[in-house]
Amino acid sequence: MPAFAYHRPASLDEALDLLSRFGEDAKILAGGQSLLPLMALRLSHPANLVDISRVPGLNEIVEDVEGGLAIGATVTHTRAEEAEAVHRLTPLVAAALPLVGHRAIRNRGTVVGSLAHADPAAELPAVALALGARFIAVKSGGQRRVAAADFFSGFLTTDLAPDELLLAVGFPPQKPRTGVSVKEISRRSGDFAIVGLAATVSLDEAGLIASSALSFFGAASTAVRVTEAEEALAGQSPGPEAFEEAARIVSQSLDPPEDANGTTAYRKHVAGVLTRNALADAIDQIGFAA
Amino acid sequence: MREAVAGRYIGQRVRRVEDQRLLTGRGSFVADVEPEGTVHAAFVRSPFANANIVSIDHSVASRAKGVVAIYTGAEICLLTNPFIPFSNLPGQFTPPFWALAVDRVRFVGDPVAVVLAYSRALAEDAAELVEIEYQELTPVVSIDDALRTDSEPIWPAAGSNILYEAADQFGEVDEAFRKADRVFTETFTSHRLSNQPLETRGCVAEVDPESDEVVFHAATQAGHALRWTLAAVTARQSAVKSIRALAGNRGRLKAFARGAKAALAGTGDQLKKADSSGTIHQIRKDPRTLLYLGRSFLGTLSAERFPRVVAKDIGGGFGSKGPVSREDAVILAVAMELNRSVKWIEDRVENLTDGGQARDERLTISFAVQDDGTILGMKANLVMNQGAYPGVPFNCGLFSRIMKVMLPGTYRIDAFRLDTTVVASNKGRYIPYRGPWANETWARERMLDVVARELGMSATQLRLKNMYHPSELPAKMITGPTLDPTMTAATTLQRAIELAEPAAFAAKQEDARSRGRLLGIGFATYHEAAPGPPDYTDAVTPGVGALLAEKSEISLEADGTVTIRTQQMPHGQSHETTYAQVAADQLGVPMEQVRLVWGDTKNTPFGIMGTGGSRGGPIGGGAVQFSSRALRTKILDQAADLLEANVNDLEIVDGNIHVRGVPAKGKSFAEVAAAAASAGGGIGDEPAITAEFTYNGPPQGGWACATHVCWVEIDPDTGFVTIPRYLVVEDCGEMINPAIVEGQVRGGVAQGIGAVLYEKTNYDEFGNLQSSTYMDYLMPTAMEIPEIELHHLETPSEVEANYRGVGEGGAIGAPPALTNAIENALAHLGVRITEQHLPPHRILELTGVIKPNVASR
Repeated sequence: MPAFAYHRPASLDEALDLLSRFGEDAKILAGGQSLLPLMALRLSHPANLVDISRVPGLNEIVEDVEGGLAIGATVTHTRAEEAEAVHRLTPLVAAALPLVGHRAIRNRGTVVGSLAHADPAAELPAVALALGARFIAVKSGGQRRVAAADFFSGFLTTDLAPDELLLAVGFPPQKPRTGVSVKEISRRSGDFAIVGLAATVSLDEAGLIASSALSFFGAASTAVRVTEAEEALAGQSPGPEAFEEAARIVSQSLDPPEDANGTTAYRKHVAGVLTRNALADAIDQIGFAA
Repeated sequence: MREAVAGRYIGQRVRRVEDQRLLTGRGSFVADVEPEGTVHAAFVRSPFANANIVSIDHSVASRAKGVVAIYTGAEICLLTNPFIPFSNLPGQFTPPFWALAVDRVRFVGDPVAVVLAYSRALAEDAAELVEIEYQELTPVVSIDDALRTDSEPIWPAAGSNILYEAADQFGEVDEAFRKADRVFTETFTSHRLSNQPLETRGCVAEVDPESDEVVFHAATQAGHALRWTLAAVTARQSAVKSIRALAGNRGRLKAFARGAKAALAGTGDQLKKADSSGTIHQIRKDPRTLLYLGRSFLGTLSAERFPRVVAKDIGGGFGSKGPVSREDAVILAVAMELNRSVKWIEDRVENLTDGGQARDERLTISFAVQDDGTILGMKANLVMNQGAYPGVPFNCGLFSRIMKVMLPGTYRIDAFRLDTTVVASNKGRYIPYRGPWANETWARERMLDVVARELGMSATQLRLKNMYHPSELPAKMITGPTLDPTMTAATTLQRAIELAEPAAFAAKQEDARSRGRLLGIGFATYHEAAPGPPDYTDAVTPGVGALLAEKSEISLEADGTVTIRTQQMPHGQSHETTYAQVAADQLGVPMEQVRLVWGDTKNTPFGIMGTGGSRGGPIGGGAVQFSSRALRTKILDQAADLLEANVNDLEIVDGNIHVRGVPAKGKSFAEVAAAAASAGGGIGDEPAITAEFTYNGPPQGGWACATHVCWVEIDPDTGFVTIPRYLVVEDCGEMINPAIVEGQVRGGVAQGIGAVLYEKTNYDEFGNLQSSTYMDYLMPTAMEIPEIELHHLETPSEVEANYRGVGEGGAIGAPPALTNAIENALAHLGVRITEQHLPPHRILELTGVIKPNVASR
C-alpha cells in the first residue's frame, strides 16, 4: 500500500478543516471497504486519509417529523440493516442492504460511504435515486442539500467537492399503497450485480399505478432510472401486460457497458427480466392489487 | 463399505493429524520465516504483452527510502545461468530464458527488475519509481494468432511461434474412417485457468554471512527438484573457474557420482529408453543451449554454495508449486550476491498474473462409428498454448504426451491418430493444474455425447457399448498401456446408472420442458494413471519412468517412536495422517507413535517428483508400507534376541512385541530400541534401527477411475446454471482414509465446476490481463458448490499396496459431466456445447435469446 498520512479528527470541525487544508490530496476513510482495496492495489494514492470514525454525531439513524429517515456518515450497513426504523420507514433501503457485499463487508462498510463512492454497480446509489433521497454535504463554513438526481455525475464521481464531507443521506417517507422490490443478478452470492433494479410502485385509490421508480445499477456509468418505462406504467392497471411493456421499454432504452460478466445484449435482456419480476414482487406487497 | 477391522488404521476415517496445528494457527508457512536482517523484494513487472525494453532508469528508485539494491535483467544475467530445458521431446524447441526479462518482455507481468528494501511496502514504493521505456510489438495472444505464418516469433531462435509438432498414429486409421458408416467431427476449446492455492508463491533465501550456508525456504511441491534447478541456475561462473574448483575438490566430485549412482539405482534401464534426439534438435536450433548446459552443469558440480531447500506447511498448490519460478532464482541469486537474507511473498495480483496458468487448449475430435454405435476409430488434433515462458521442469510437451496416451479413454478404439502442436504466445506461463491432461477427458466425453445424440442413442448406452468391461481385461490400450481387470471404469458407469436412473430423469425432463423449465443430466467416465502400470510411463515418453521411483526411509528412534522420511511435500493431502496409518498397521503400533519428516532436502531422501500426479498415496504410501515392513523385520529380529525366542513365534500387538499368546512377557518398541542402540554402540538420540525401500509403483494396474453424473437446471431468462445434484462413483482401490479420499474428490469437483461456470484467466486481444484480482477471477465459494454424493467401489487387487491416486480425478470428471448436462438441458433447442467456459450470457447466446458477441468470449 502506498504511504499516506493518517488523520483521525475528534470533531466535525476538525475533519472539515483537514479537508479544506488538503483538498484533492485527502480522502475520507469511513468503513474503508472500497478505498482500502484500491490503495492496496496501488490504484489510488491519497496523500492523506481523514478517518471520520471517531467524529461524534455521525453514527446516527434519525427519524424526521415528516416520517422520513436520515442515516449519518458512519452508520454501517449492518447497523442500518438491523435498525427497526429502516424497515418501517424505508422498506426499499431495507430490501437492498442484505445484497450489499458480504456480511464482513457490511459490518465495516457504511451506507453513506457507498453512496459517496458511487459505484454504478452498487445497490445503494440506485436505491437513493429511486427514492429521491437528499444528500447533506458540509464543508468549513457551509452546508448544502443535493437531490439524488443531481448527485451522481459519472463513473465513481459525484457532485461532492474535494473539501466536502457527505454528512448524511435523507430518505423521504414512503407514499401510501406502495410496494418495493430490489432484484439483481450476480455471478456469485455477494458479488457486485451484473445488473440490478431498485423499484417502487405506488397505486392510486382505484388500484391503478399512480407512480413508479425503476432505478437500475450495473447498467450505465451511474445508477440510472428509465423514465420512459415509468411513464408508460402510469395510469395502467398493474399486471403482466403493463409489466411486459415496461420490461420491453427498459431493455430497449438501456445501453449498458460490456465486461466479462455480461455483454451489452445480456444486460439489456436481463434488465427486462428483472423489471417484470420486480414489478410483480412490488405489487404483491401492496396487498390489494387489482 | 468394508467392515472395520479392530487394531487396523487403513480404511478408517481417522481424523487428520495436521488439523490441530493448522486450525489453531500454529502452522508454519514460508511467510512466517524472517531471519534477522532480511530485506524484502518487490518485482517491477511489464505492463505490455510484447515489447522491447529500450531503457531502464532506476536512479530515482535507488535513492528512495529504505532501498538496499535494485537489479535489472542485465545484472541478473551476470549472476545466473538461464533456465534451460530439463528434457526435450524429439522436434521440440524449448527456449532458454533468464530469470528476469533482459531486452524484451513477453507477457503482462513479465518481471523486469527486482527492488530490495527494508520492507515490502518500501520496495513497492520504489518499484513504482523505476522508469522503463518500452517499444511495443504486436502481441500474439490466441492460438490462432500464434498459428498465423506471419506472426512475429516471440522466441526468434524458434523461427516461428510453433514450438512442437508431432503426429502419432496407432492402428489403421484411414481404413477405420473409410469403413465407418458415419464420421462426426467437432472442435472443443478450453479457456485459461489459474490454479489458485490459498497461499501464493513465496520464498526466503536465508544467508548466514558467517557460515556461508544458504537455506532456501520455499512454498514448493518438490523441494529436491527446486534445489537442483536453483543450483544450476545460480551457479554462474566461468567454465575455467568451475573446472579448477572441481580439480581441487575430488571428494565432492566423488560424492556427486555416488549420489547420481544411487539416484539411478534400479532406474537405469528406464533411463536407457530415453530419446535424446530432442536435446540434440534443441542444440542445433539454438547452439547457445550447449554453452548454457555446460556452464550450468559444471557450475552445479563446483558451486561453492549449494542451497538447502526447506519447506514446512504449504497452503496448497494444485500443481502450481511444482514448477520452479523465475522469481525463486532471482531471490536466491541476489541474496547470495548481497550476502544477506531476502524474502519475497507473492501478492494475489502477481499470483493471478505470473503464478502459472493452465489449460488453454483446442482439441478437434473425429469419431468413425457404425450406425449401431460401434467406434471404429478416432482422430484428434491438439493445439496447446504454452504462453511466453516454458514451465520448468515440465512444459506443454510432456502433458501433450499424456493426452496422447489417454485420449482413447477406456473405450475399445483400435485406430487412433493424434496431431499435436504447441505454440508460444504473449500470455503467462502454462503449468500443470490438477489433472494437466484433463482436456482429453473433457473433449472425448463431450464428443461421445455428441455422437450419441447424432445416432439417436443414449449417452450411457454408447459408452457401455464401447467400453472395456473388467471381464474383457487385461487388454492393451491402442496407445500402449495395459488395462488390468482392476480398471473398473465400466463398473463405475453401471453403478452410476443404477443410482442416477437416467431413464426416469428423461420423463421428468420432458415434463419440465413443457412447463418452460430446463433440466439436464450429464455423465462422464474416465480412468487415470494413478500411477498406472510401467508400460503407461513408457507410452508417455520412454525413460520418464526413471523419474518416478520414490524412496522411503524409516527408523526406530531411541525412544521407541518411529520416524518416516519422505521426499513428498505435503500441501493439503494429509500425508502425516495417512502415512502414519500405513506404517502403524505394518508395525503394530499406535499411529501416534509414528512421525513424518518432510520438507528439508538435508534430511529427506532424494526424489524429483515431490508431491504431484496423484502419487502421494500409491507410490509414496506404497514406499512407506514396504519400508515399514522392512523395519518390522529388523525390529522382530532384535526382539527375538532379547526374548530368546524364534522370530517366527513373535507377534506385535499395540506396540508390545511378544511370543504369540504370551503378551505379559513382551518387550516394548522402546526396549527394543534401547537394546539395538547399545548393541550398535550408539548413545544419545540417533535412530536405533533403520530401513528403507525404493518403490516404483505397482507392476500392473494402478488405474483410478470414476463416473461423474451432474444434474443441472438452467434459468431460461437469465442463463444461470444451478446444480441440484452431483454424484461420483469412483474406484481408487483400497482407501487408506475414506474421509481424505472424499475431501480430494470434492475439492476437485469444485474446481471443475469453477472452470465451467466461474473461473477464467481472461486476456483481451492485446494480451492485457483482465482478471488480475478476485473481483474478476471468480473462485467458486461454498455458496456455489453443491452437495457431492460419493460412492466407492474399492476393487481389490492381487497387487500389494492397492492404493490409487485421487488427487486429480475430481477436477478431470467435473467439466465433461457438467457441460454434458448443460447440453442435455438445451438439446431440444439445437444447442451444441463446444467451449468449456459457460457464463450466463453465453448460455443465453447459445439458446438464441440474445445475439452472440464474439469479441466478449
